[in-house]
Amino acid sequence: MSQCDAIQESIGRWLDGELKATDSEAVRSHIAGCPDCGAARRRLEKIHSTFGGHLRAEASQLEFAPFWREVRRRIDEKRPWREDLFEWVQSQLTAPRLAWSVPAAIVLVLGLISFAKWPVDGQFSNYASVESIDTHGRNVALLREDETKTTIIWLYQDPEGENENVEEATKSGPAF
Amino acid sequence: MWKKLRNPVLLFSLVFVSVAGWLHAADTAPQSVQVTVRSILAGNNNDEFDPKLKGLEQQLKPLKHRSFRALKDETQTIPWQGSKAFEIPGGRSLTITTREFQNNRIGLEIRLTQGDKPVIDTTVKIANKGSIILGGPAHEGGSLVLSISAAAQ
Amino acid sequence: MELSDWQLVEKCQAGDADAFQELVSRYHQKVFMVILGLLHNREDALEVAQETFFRAYRKIRSFQGGSSFYTWIYRIAVNNAIDAQRKQKRNPLDFHENIDGIFAARNEVANDPFADVHDRELRENMSKAINELTPEHKAVIVLRTIEGMSYKDIGEILGCSEGTVMSRLHYARKKLQDKLRAYL
Repeated sequence: MSQCDAIQESIGRWLDGELKATDSEAVRSHIAGCPDCGAARRRLEKIHSTFGGHLRAEASQLEFAPFWREVRRRIDEKRPWREDLFEWVQSQLTAPRLAWSVPAAIVLVLGLISFAKWPVDGQFSNYASVESIDTHGRNVALLREDETKTTIIWLYQDPEGENENVEEATKSGPAF
Repeated sequence: MWKKLRNPVLLFSLVFVSVAGWLHAADTAPQSVQVTVRSILAGNNNDEFDPKLKGLEQQLKPLKHRSFRALKDETQTIPWQGSKAFEIPGGRSLTITTREFQNNRIGLEIRLTQGDKPVIDTTVKIANKGSIILGGPAHEGGSLVLSISAAAQ
Repeated sequence: MELSDWQLVEKCQAGDADAFQELVSRYHQKVFMVILGLLHNREDALEVAQETFFRAYRKIRSFQGGSSFYTWIYRIAVNNAIDAQRKQKRNPLDFHENIDGIFAARNEVANDPFADVHDRELRENMSKAINELTPEHKAVIVLRTIEGMSYKDIGEILGCSEGTVMSRLHYARKKLQDKLRAYL
């Protein structure tokens, strides 16, 4: 890259006042002595002055009173609640807020997982599991009561007989 | 510091670590378990349901006995991975050992003995603050029913 | 004594409608200029500028002074303009009709330094060249050209870093110079 190329890359920042003092001085002194870079500077200034001048001229014709009347009319106008809701939803879906949705979703999932582990009032599950059982030769039946899910281990009174009081209960089958 | 917390990634990490820690803490072994054993006589001589057994009606329903009478209630606090023996009517003893705590469920080793003879050995996992029913041995013309409940502390 | 922008905002937040009117009077032309630079259509720019102040009024209670008021209002204005641009279904030629109308109006403006007809071609082609930029590149050029804002302020308004502002400005200027070389 030649010196002129490097200077022309920096002209914009120099005109914007965004260069350090030493760099700014280097650009200024180069432009003062270089026709090509001087022309580049003038082109850039022309673009800005033409564009800016046009817009400033337009804006200078804008009268405040009718403008304010229209703004006031909007403020005083009652909007349907759906529009307000839509605007609020739209305002939430901005990039910074969307970034929050990821951790929020993860926290929600973690919360649901932990919530599922603990019983909620009125929805207590009395589920129990029998890991091992040794009845020393006796017959045993495992039952589960439907509503509270209570597990019942019923030991028969002798190795061969059945207790008639649990006849119906055993018809419901083993607990597992 | 508060400005840094507005960084979603940092805040998420903090929240994640807190929740993970909380979940982990929730599964850390309890210091002790409070166990209550209710000894109940189930029979068919009459249709009485002992008012002291209020709250157990649903759980005892599958047994199809006509009458239920409370015999004895005993509560003990068992240290973690420790054992305690409960006196059961009819010369029996129920030894309960706390073993495991996971997913809010308590692992218990239960041994019922009649004198020196083992009647039943079982390992169960019951819900924290839940219960299990062990029944069947003959007693006073009916059947002995034990309601065993446990709560981690 | 003239109240500062923040003092006026506080009065608005307390329910003083006159304070908001004063804020509108201070910024309505600047906001309109920025939006016109992005939309190139006077009627659309007017509509969006009025909507900008209406939305600012509704959000004024949530403005906590973390940035200056003008940065805040410009942010709303640029976002509204970019939204409007996306919805804009007008043919680009409509802009040229507007340009002719603007010239007719501008020739009546006594202190217009650019009434030279020779610049007409430059302006016409400039509007086309700027319209070909992406909304993000257009926004940096407009804010820098009209308001002479620092890269930091522009970055705050557009929600990007100073480095991004610098590279977008550089790109936009290069594009404009390439397209308008014959007229400069």
